[in-house]
Amino acid sequence: MSSIKEYLTHDHGRCDELFAKMEDSAATSLSDAKESYEEFANATERHFQMEERVMFLEFEAKTGMTEGPTAMMRHEHAQMRSLIKQMGEALEAQNKDKFFGLSETLMILMQQHNMKEEQMLYTMAQQHLSAEAPRVVDMMESMIVE
Amino acid sequence: MQFNGLSLEQAPPISAPLRFYLTAPLFAILAGILILLSDVSVLQSRYSIDSIVIAHAITIGFMSFVMLGSLTQMLPVLAGVKMYRVDLITKASHLALVFGTLFMLMGLKFEMPLLNTLAIILLVSGFLAMIVVIFMAIKKVKNFTPTVRGMSISLVFAFFSVMMGVFLLFTYIYGGLAIYRNIVANTHSVWAVFGFAGVLIVGVTFQVLPMFYVAPKFKDFYQKRVVLFISLSLLLWMIASLFYETYSVVAKLWIVLFFASFAVVFLQKINNRKRKISDITLLYYKTSSIFLALGSVSWIVDEFYFSEHIVVTSILIGGFILSIMIGMLYKIVPFLVWFHLNAMGYMNIPTMNEMIDKKLALIQFVLFVASLMGFILSYYVSTYLNLFAMAFIFSMVILQYNIITTVLIYKRVKKTKPDFDMSAFA
Repeated sequence: MSSIKEYLTHDHGRCDELFAKMEDSAATSLSDAKESYEEFANATERHFQMEERVMFLEFEAKTGMTEGPTAMMRHEHAQMRSLIKQMGEALEAQNKDKFFGLSETLMILMQQHNMKEEQMLYTMAQQHLSAEAPRVVDMMESMIVE
Repeated sequence: MQFNGLSLEQAPPISAPLRFYLTAPLFAILAGILILLSDVSVLQSRYSIDSIVIAHAITIGFMSFVMLGSLTQMLPVLAGVKMYRVDLITKASHLALVFGTLFMLMGLKFEMPLLNTLAIILLVSGFLAMIVVIFMAIKKVKNFTPTVRGMSISLVFAFFSVMMGVFLLFTYIYGGLAIYRNIVANTHSVWAVFGFAGVLIVGVTFQVLPMFYVAPKFKDFYQKRVVLFISLSLLLWMIASLFYETYSVVAKLWIVLFFASFAVVFLQKINNRKRKISDITLLYYKTSSIFLALGSVSWIVDEFYFSEHIVVTSILIGGFILSIMIGMLYKIVPFLVWFHLNAMGYMNIPTMNEMIDKKLALIQFVLFVASLMGFILSYYVSTYLNLFAMAFIFSMVILQYNIITTVLIYKRVKKTKPDFDMSAFA
C-alpha cells in the first residue's frame, strides 16, 4: 500500500503527462485538442477533490489546522480551476495564443503548487496520518468526482 | 474576499525580486560600454584592471543580483520558509550592493582608495545581510530536500567568495598584501563561479526542469550527491592550488567532470521532455548547456597551454551562467506579474505569453549569442571587438526593455483596476 505522499505525488505526475499530451495536440490543432483537454481537466479536478474532500479534511481534523496550509492549497486550487476554465473557453474560441498563454501560466502555478504540496504538505500529512494512511488512500481511490 | 492575499501572504512582495531583476541588465549594459571603451590588448589579460572591472560588472552586477532576487522568490516555494523582514532587507541590501558595485568598479578603474573602502563596507553589508537572513530562514526548513541543500551550500561558497573578494579589494588599498593577490584571486573566482553560481544552478535545475517541462527526473544518486561532490572537488582544488600546485589539475578534472556531465544530462533531459513546446527560455537553456560543456572542456584543455586561453574559458562559462539566467528571467518576470495581479483579485489580465514580444526576445537572444561568440573570436582577431561590444549592449538594452515593459503591465493594471472577477471563488 502506497503512502499518502507517494499516492498523491504519483497523481501529480499523471496530471503533468496529460497536460503535456493536451499541449501537444493543441499545437497541431485546437479542434482536435478538446478530448485531451477534457482528459486533463477531469484528472486535475479529480486530484483537487481527492485532496479537498478527503485528505485535507482528515488532515484538518487531526491537526486542527484549518486556516493553515490546506487553506492556501484550496485557494491555489481555485486559481488553477479558473485558468483551466479559461483554457476551455480559449479552445472553444479557437484562440491559440490565448490558450498557450494560459497553459504556460497554469503550468508554472501548478508546479509551484505541487512543489509546496510534495515537499511540505504531503510530508506533514504522512507524518500526522501515518496510522490512517491506507484508509485515506482507499477513500481517495474510490472517491467519485462531484 | 476572504481568500484575497492568501498566497500573497506567503510570497515576498513583487518588488523584492523585481528590484534585483530590473537592475541586473543595467550592469550588463555598463559592462558592454566598458568593453567598448577598453583597449583590446588590455582585455586579453585576466589580471588587467579593465578585465577585472568588466568581469565584476557582470558577476556582481548581473549574476549576483539575479541570484539574490531569485533566492528571495524561491525560498517560500522550494523550501517553504519566509525571509525575515524581506522587504526591508532586500531594499537595503539592493541599495548597498548597487552602490558597492559601482564604487568598486570606479575605485579600481581610477585607483581611488576611498571608493574602494566604501565599496568594501557596502558590498560586505549588502551580501551578508542577504546571506544571513536566507540562512536564518533555511534553519527553519523542516524537509531538507536536495535543492535546499544546494541553496545552502551555494551560500557558503558565496560567503567565502565575498570574504576573499574583500581581501582582494583591500590589496588595492593597502599594497603590502598585493603579493597574495593572484593566489587568492584564483580561489575567489573559481569558488564564486562554480560554487556560488554553479551549485545554485545545479541544485535548482534538477528540481525545476523536470517539473516545468515534464522531463525525466534526475537520478536519486545525482540529486543527493552531485552537489556534495562538486563542493568537495572545489575544496580539494583550493587546497591543491595553495599547497600542491602540481596536483591541482586532478581536482580541476573533478570539477570539470561534474559540470560537463551536468551539461550533458541537462541537455538530455530537455530533449526527452514530454512537453514539446519550445520557447525562448528553452532556447536559452539549450544554449546554456552547450556553453557549459564547451567551457568545461576548454578549461581543462587549457591546462596544456598554461592557461593561455583562460579568457575564452571565462567567456564560455560566463555564457553558461548568463544564458540560464536570462532564460529564467523571461519566464519568471511575466509569471510574477501575472501571479501578483491574480492574487490581488484581478482576473482580466494579459496572459504570460502576451507580456513579452516574442520577436524582440528572439532578436535579443541572437544578439547575445553572437556577441559572446564575437568576444571569443576577438581574443584572437580583435578587429571587430567594438562591433561585438555593440551587439552585447543592444542585446542587454532589449532585455532591459523586455523586463520593464512587463513590469509596466503590472503598474498599469494596478492603476486602472479592471473589474474584479470573483467567479473562481463562487
